[in-house]
Amino acid sequence: MNVFLNDLIAYWPQILMGLKNTLLLMAVMSITGFFGGIGVFYLSISKWEIVRKWTQSYISFFIGTPLLVHLFLMYYGLPRLGIHLSAFTVCVIGFTLNVSAYNARYLMTAYRGLHKSELDAALAQGFTPFETFRLIILPQVLRLSVPSLTNQVIQNIKDTSVAFLIQYPDFFTQMQEIAAVNFQFFKAYMTAGLVYMAMVSVIVVAARKMERQIALPGLQT
Amino acid sequence: MALIEVKNLIKNFDGKNILRGVNMELHEGRSKVVMGPSGCGKTTLLRCLNLLIAPTAGQIIFKGNDITRPGVDIRRLRQDIGFVFQHFALYSHLTVEENVTLGLRKIKKMKKKDAVEKATYELERVGMFDHRNKYPAQLSGGQKQRAAIVRALAMDPAVMFLDEPTSALDPQMSREVVTVINKLYLDNITMLCVTHDPFLAKYISDSIVFMHEGVVVAEDIAERLFYDHDDPRIRQFFLSVIDHR
Amino acid sequence: MTFWKILIILAEGAGYTILVTIAAMVAGLAVGLLTAVLSRLHRKYVDIFLDVYKYIFRSIPVLVILFLVYFGLPGIGIRVPPFLSMVVSLGLVSGAYLAEIFRGAMAAVSNNEMMAAEAAGLKRTQIFSHIILPQMFRMSVPGMINEFTSILKYTPFAYTVGIPEIMKAAMTLAAMTLRGLEIYLAAGIIYFVIYKGFIMMFAAVEKKFHIPGLLVE
Repeated sequence: MNVFLNDLIAYWPQILMGLKNTLLLMAVMSITGFFGGIGVFYLSISKWEIVRKWTQSYISFFIGTPLLVHLFLMYYGLPRLGIHLSAFTVCVIGFTLNVSAYNARYLMTAYRGLHKSELDAALAQGFTPFETFRLIILPQVLRLSVPSLTNQVIQNIKDTSVAFLIQYPDFFTQMQEIAAVNFQFFKAYMTAGLVYMAMVSVIVVAARKMERQIALPGLQT
Repeated sequence: MALIEVKNLIKNFDGKNILRGVNMELHEGRSKVVMGPSGCGKTTLLRCLNLLIAPTAGQIIFKGNDITRPGVDIRRLRQDIGFVFQHFALYSHLTVEENVTLGLRKIKKMKKKDAVEKATYELERVGMFDHRNKYPAQLSGGQKQRAAIVRALAMDPAVMFLDEPTSALDPQMSREVVTVINKLYLDNITMLCVTHDPFLAKYISDSIVFMHEGVVVAEDIAERLFYDHDDPRIRQFFLSVIDHR
Repeated sequence: MTFWKILIILAEGAGYTILVTIAAMVAGLAVGLLTAVLSRLHRKYVDIFLDVYKYIFRSIPVLVILFLVYFGLPGIGIRVPPFLSMVVSLGLVSGAYLAEIFRGAMAAVSNNEMMAAEAAGLKRTQIFSHIILPQMFRMSVPGMINEFTSILKYTPFAYTVGIPEIMKAAMTLAAMTLRGLEIYLAAGIIYFVIYKGFIMMFAAVEKKFHIPGLLVE
């Protein structure tokens, strides 16, 4: 254990940088995925059938194919067209497309449980369809989806570890390198697991707190 | 000898005395209804009698054996008691027929063919045969309760317990269920029924037990208890539940 | 090399992908079911153990667990073959999620029905197998489909431990031909076809066992 601890201390700056990269990626994709999800959701309840159909196909495709394939496609495939993207950019684009699809699906589920008479009331009162979306639909649907959306953030932090497979220097990559130096794979991965658990726990606590704050009486899933 | 004999039955729960010494008898082939204001302990009494709730003290003699003593085969006892619930409690993943045959097959160990035959016979008795392949969600309230009655009856119990069998139903459906239970009454099926519904009580009972605050205060036939009793508590109760239009 | 040819080559890896998916799904269901049974015991220490298990495997990334099992365990003298590593890792993770799905579904089974079964004289084991399980499974179907989708999403990790599935075939081919764009696009299409195939199968199963009124959520 001593050797391993010494290595952890020796590689501390690198580990810290890895953690920073992991958290950065998680934060960026959670934000882009959140707004992306709202955008995709907006399209998925469009009044034009063709838009709804294409949006459904988009959601279905990104949920039905592994994220890794999209990352590889952009990271190893695009250079052939002369497009060279950094690992970080590839991750942000790939994760955003993926997370948006999932978030849009959660919002769709919540939307189906909404009282449609409220929407008629808003339109009858003179709100435009977009105002109805922004002022009536979205505030309710977002609140109803809070548990799913926060679960997605937890999923996001775990999925950042995939970025290691396209050489993004995240936390898991750094632990991997330490293990490669001292051959203490078991301890390295155990440590990695514990750190991920700690990060997830922080998100869980924060999410519960937020859920309580934005709850409205009578509006429940 | 009585089929069921209740002696000084007591049930305390959360520091409250729900039953404070109930005495009652039920003879084979007879039908009794227990009435009384909400909270008088009538549902607790019914559930104590088949040990869904454990009594605190007192005796329950069922077929000559004290079932409050330790070592009683509770499952054996419950097979002898058909229980009908207020909210039907049909198994929602099984059809009407399967609801009836499950107990026959798993408890009575009947062959599937025999169980179906028995179910068919009992379902026909209450006019539910045509609905045998429907799921509970596809039935009206009255049909659900009739199916639940058949499910209990098909086990050939020594006694039927009915816990507010009509109170979750609207008047029309309630009438439908009363008709069925009345038929059982005329067939001399032993019954113990808890209810608020004087209409049901009148048509299915030999006598009515009136409970108040955890004790039996009177027992009489419907006419005398409903319209002509000295006890002010009883007069007041029936004034409030009987529709005098 | 035509796009069609690429598809055919990659499709050869699809067998392993499907095999890993099904094996992991079965393992996950077995673990999830076991937790459902154990949670019915209502023993304090069992419940704590189940909570800890669920928390750990829902918090640590699949990739980390897979590396711990395949590369880490030999360090303490346990050697796990690639396929088994993959199935154990995915099975334990999806088992933890399924446990939660099953718990929710069991909570939705009506107390009245269980009391009726008890009053009729059914044994506890009979109540579990004839009343609780059939309803729990049906109410869990959407959750199980989501879980299956997650498993499929993580199967490409199998290449990291040397299982010759779709991703491995794609990487090998890409290294030889330098046509990554078409190859990974083809891989995506094959995964999507597998996904759609499974979803259609599930829909057929769900339809066959559908019961009116037994709704989810």
